[in-house]
Amino acid sequence: MRKYIVLLVAGCCYFLSSTAQNKYAVNLIPTQLLAHANVVKRMEEIRVDIRDAGNATIIHKYALTIFNTGGDGEAELVEWYGQLIGIESVEGTLYDASGKKIKSLKRNDIEDVSGTSSSSLADDNRLKKHNFNCRNYPYTIEYEIATVYRGIFYLPRWIPVENEKYAVEKSKLIVKCPLDYKLRYKTFNYPKEPVISTVKQAVVYEWGVENLPPYIVEDYQPQWHEITPAVYLAPTNFEMQHYSGSMGDWTNLGKFGYTLNHDRDILPENIKKRVHALTDGLKTNPEKIKILYEYLQENTHYISIQLGIGGWQTFDANYVATKGYGDCKALSNYMYSLLKEAGIKSYYTWIKAGENNNSFLDDFPSNQFNHCIVCVPQAKDTIWLECTSQTLPMGYLSGFTSNRNALLIDETGGKLVRTPFYKKTDNTKIRKIKATVNKEGQLIASSITAYKAEQQDNLELLLGAYSKEKMGERLQTKLNLPSYTIDKFNYTINKAAPFPVITEMIDLTANNYCPISGKRMFINPNILNLFFAKINDATTRKFDIKLPDAFIEIDSVEINIPSGYKPESVPDNSVIVNKFGSYKTKFILSPSKIIYIRELQQNGGRFPASDAVGLAEYFNSVVVADRTRLVFVQETDAK
Amino acid sequence: MKKRTLLSILYLLYYITLIAQDKPDITFNRILPEDFSITKLKVDTSMGAVIIADVGSSSFEGNNKGWFTLVYKHQRRIKIINKKGYDLARVEIPLYQSVRSENKEKLDNLKASTYNLVNGVVVESKLDKQSIFEEKLNKNHLLKKFTMPAVKEESLIEISYTIKSDFLFNLQPWHFQGAYPRVWSEYEVDIPRFFEYVYSRHGYNAFDINSVKNKFSTYIVRNYDSYIMGGTKVYTITSNNIINRWVIKNVPALKEEKFTTSINNHISSVEFQLSGQQFPDEAHKDIMGTWVDLSKELLNGEDFGKGLDKYNGWMNEDMKLIKIGTGDQLDQAKNIYEYIKKSIHNKGIRNIDLSAPLKEIFRTKSGYAEDINLLLVAMLRHQDIDAKPVILSTRSNGVTDEKYPLIQRFNYVICAANIDGKTYYLDASQPHLGFNKLPEYCYNGSGRVISDTAPIVYFSADSLQETKLTSIALFKEDKKPGSLSGAVNIEMGYYESCRARNRISENGKEDFEKKLKANYISNLSIEDIKTEDEKNDELPMKLSYNIAVNNPKNSSILYFNPMLDQGYNENIFSNAERSYPVEMSYQKDETYLIYIEIPEGYVIDEIPRSAKVSLNSGEGFFEYLIEKTDKQINLRSRIKLNKANFAAEDFTSLRNFFELILKKHAEQIVFKKK
Repeated sequence: MRKYIVLLVAGCCYFLSSTAQNKYAVNLIPTQLLAHANVVKRMEEIRVDIRDAGNATIIHKYALTIFNTGGDGEAELVEWYGQLIGIESVEGTLYDASGKKIKSLKRNDIEDVSGTSSSSLADDNRLKKHNFNCRNYPYTIEYEIATVYRGIFYLPRWIPVENEKYAVEKSKLIVKCPLDYKLRYKTFNYPKEPVISTVKQAVVYEWGVENLPPYIVEDYQPQWHEITPAVYLAPTNFEMQHYSGSMGDWTNLGKFGYTLNHDRDILPENIKKRVHALTDGLKTNPEKIKILYEYLQENTHYISIQLGIGGWQTFDANYVATKGYGDCKALSNYMYSLLKEAGIKSYYTWIKAGENNNSFLDDFPSNQFNHCIVCVPQAKDTIWLECTSQTLPMGYLSGFTSNRNALLIDETGGKLVRTPFYKKTDNTKIRKIKATVNKEGQLIASSITAYKAEQQDNLELLLGAYSKEKMGERLQTKLNLPSYTIDKFNYTINKAAPFPVITEMIDLTANNYCPISGKRMFINPNILNLFFAKINDATTRKFDIKLPDAFIEIDSVEINIPSGYKPESVPDNSVIVNKFGSYKTKFILSPSKIIYIRELQQNGGRFPASDAVGLAEYFNSVVVADRTRLVFVQETDAK
Repeated sequence: MKKRTLLSILYLLYYITLIAQDKPDITFNRILPEDFSITKLKVDTSMGAVIIADVGSSSFEGNNKGWFTLVYKHQRRIKIINKKGYDLARVEIPLYQSVRSENKEKLDNLKASTYNLVNGVVVESKLDKQSIFEEKLNKNHLLKKFTMPAVKEESLIEISYTIKSDFLFNLQPWHFQGAYPRVWSEYEVDIPRFFEYVYSRHGYNAFDINSVKNKFSTYIVRNYDSYIMGGTKVYTITSNNIINRWVIKNVPALKEEKFTTSINNHISSVEFQLSGQQFPDEAHKDIMGTWVDLSKELLNGEDFGKGLDKYNGWMNEDMKLIKIGTGDQLDQAKNIYEYIKKSIHNKGIRNIDLSAPLKEIFRTKSGYAEDINLLLVAMLRHQDIDAKPVILSTRSNGVTDEKYPLIQRFNYVICAANIDGKTYYLDASQPHLGFNKLPEYCYNGSGRVISDTAPIVYFSADSLQETKLTSIALFKEDKKPGSLSGAVNIEMGYYESCRARNRISENGKEDFEKKLKANYISNLSIEDIKTEDEKNDELPMKLSYNIAVNNPKNSSILYFNPMLDQGYNENIFSNAERSYPVEMSYQKDETYLIYIEIPEGYVIDEIPRSAKVSLNSGEGFFEYLIEKTDKQINLRSRIKLNKANFAAEDFTSLRNFFELILKKHAEQIVFKKK
């Protein structure tokens, strides 16, 4: 009997120790997580401990099993730090496929490097990096990182699924805060409420997920948080260095912005004089705004400097006046100060810039901003000013900040408003080509294209940065023609309100544009605007489809053909109209000429996943139709 | 008398022009309103800014640490023409620092101002010291960064500074050329006789001034010595210095073009290397030495050769992990190579020094390319296989100097194994590279075997051949008149196979197939993709799939591109002209064969004509041979380039050659209904 007990105890110990040791054995991963997985997150725990408005500690522990080279990127540890976030400790361990420990991270293995991007003059971003560099797949890495937040203006987000082909076995977010602290949060794709408990004068919130199989990224998919579970956190009261504020609502967050930045609008005397010299003689506000905006563009340029609270607090107007440069905050504040001196009320405005304008959460007041602009309300139309651009026309924001929420800031607090929306009919690309094809199949063409509103955004940036020579080189490689020479080109920018227009003029020669086989010549009249988008795997579509911005393109092409050729095959005119947009082509033939008109409209917007098959068919037919050729045959002399 | 005056005036004029040509057209620190004008500039002003004068000098001074300090002075005047040139208003000055000691290069006398012309008056805005930021780039380099104040279109900027350096190997190189044009670029190097430097120059712009002068100089060197009263010993050394001065005027901006190994090979520049020292009454000290010296030094170095020949007892145990087998040396070498290749993670290309001891590399299973290949050498030697490291410079790192042992030009190590009288060159750092194959980027001229005799070895891109064969058979579909179906078989080129293997292992086979399918549009579709030898890195990969050509029923005419729209459709040589050589990775030999049955119910109305053309008499050819019978068509297209490197003058003929390929590849076969 006694023997039995001893044996039993020994057996238990063995059992305990073996499970403890091999918790990361790969064969413990549920099989439904493995298909398509490069990475499986074995466990994750983010513990956020909010002490008060000025202090929080975060302990992030996680383990990832990496299955192939495609997952190697996830195995690297990269932790940012700076004046507002400090790293207290980093621990790490590497395990093999059986879950046996191979090695631990040593302090000296951690790299400490500058995180200053090449576009920035100075910031205090630094990062700690580590990599076990294992390649015996599958292997498992485990890290535990403790960080301190000096002020909780930012709080971490919990997005357990971090990438495509990335499964999650277990992940948890645990937030602890004082009883009297009101934590704010917003959940996505998380059907439950958090588990809330009270422990020793503190409230503890807990969210958790288990066994999420991997996703595969799809074309035109929505924002990440719209398709996978996520929890965003935000403080009520917070501190940042020696400032404090509250972001329970937009008004209060705006007040904080005002406190950070007020009294930074004092201009030196010479600039004040200059403002009056420029504006006193002008009658209307729009005229004054225009001249001051152009004055700003002429005399300043953008340089990024972000040091500690300087990531949120602007340099004062005097700094910009003397240096002639600043970041988005400093330049916007300077513009605001110039306008103020001219007696025009404007707003220093926070915004989330970027091509994707749909990720802003207007019902969750929190720090979602990364950029700063100026808003000048006027009796008729509000005027918006992007102060980091030396080239944009006054009042035009571009796709970088258009059609989204922005927070206007003044002494009364913050107010959320929409920036302008550029409609399908505003974003146009109208092209006219006159071309001649000779008997050798060589094409000589003159093209004039007018790009308007968001259609000109990219070109506008390029023209601002590239020399004429470089623009020429770009054209020489960019067009979708087999072999060609740009004979002449020119760009003219028309900054007239409300939408800028860039006109591109190109003269080109394309040898062998029209293949000749014996007595036949093949001509594709769509010379410069082939459609490329295709949608893969439409039948297995999971997520909604988000088509980028709406636009209209019209190409009118006139091609003179060599004498002695008659048409043998002419494509049918097409008319496709659906909810995604429309595609229409028209072929008009005369004895010496082809006239081709193509009109493509994209509606933009969000469509259910079930529309993917229809969209793929539509895109495919446009791809094919854009490449259809007319066939001409040489007339043989009647015998 | 009159005649004489005229002559002397002429002489004076001549003399003045001579002087004017010998120095830049401006005076630093003295900005005149007329300096803002750009009408007289003879360089391209469309880049947005021009460097009006760029003047540097390097010289030596005695220091109080008993040795010498390098003094580098740099003065630059910039004309900003418009906003595109604002990049030049952002300045970064790198400084070297020692890891071992506190010593670092010192930036002195930094003066920088922006000048603007306001109502005809020159207004200066000085850079203030608070606007200078310091960034720690890595353990050896600091960066001083600043942006010039008050920069506007039309501004002039002047920057001058001195760098004092105790690192005599770091005699600053000079770039006469860069992203912006330069009106005057000048470098003067004043070297005392007792230091010997070799210099090398690159680029195609001739020097406008290339002068050598001698000058006597006296150096005072102080050294702290506790045995001496006052504690300092003072030495005085004189030397007949050699002063080299180089000037290039009106240097155009440099543009990077396709098929360039490294733009650094083509920038007009001078670089220096400390080769030796000769003090009065002392023996000559060779610092740079010979290739043999260098090789010995490397072999004895802790972070290169020292571990290669040691007994390496740790391997006894660890080598058991590797199934070396009992075969001959070649078999064993292959097994070791395979093991290292598959199990040691490559962190990238760094330089030629070990980043950690070999044992550590093996234990952590990760290292840089040089670590991995030195480990390979050591493990082969452990099995008594004759293996040696070979150092070289990768293509993007620029060419090396065959004559001088300039070690810092090398950045890569491979392994040469001699087995049964044959030399095998091995690189175990690439997970999908076969035995005795080297990555494309190693083919960059010469390398050196690190051995007692340090022989040179050549790896020329011209010696490398990439061969590809595509064969296709298309048969008529009896049930679908007009349509065809069949199979495509591709024997890929070796390097193309490596790229495909890397892609498959990174993104998965599905992704690879998806991208392949996406190449076919309109009436072509493929399925049932199969690969052969995908896992056998020694061989090129084979690829096969079924293809369907779906033509509409009852169409009276069918047009059919026999290249299946997969031929060349873009000229890879798109630029109108070229200012430096074309450097491709290898010779090409691409053959495409297709057999086409004439679709049911149709006859040939027209087929393209055969053609054959050769490139620059014997450097390559293109043939397009087509034959037909009543039932079938056979086409063979072959592109062969017999070399990889072409002179800049050959650019136009290459362009025209590819243009003809494009033309033939676009041609159509026409079938007519019976």
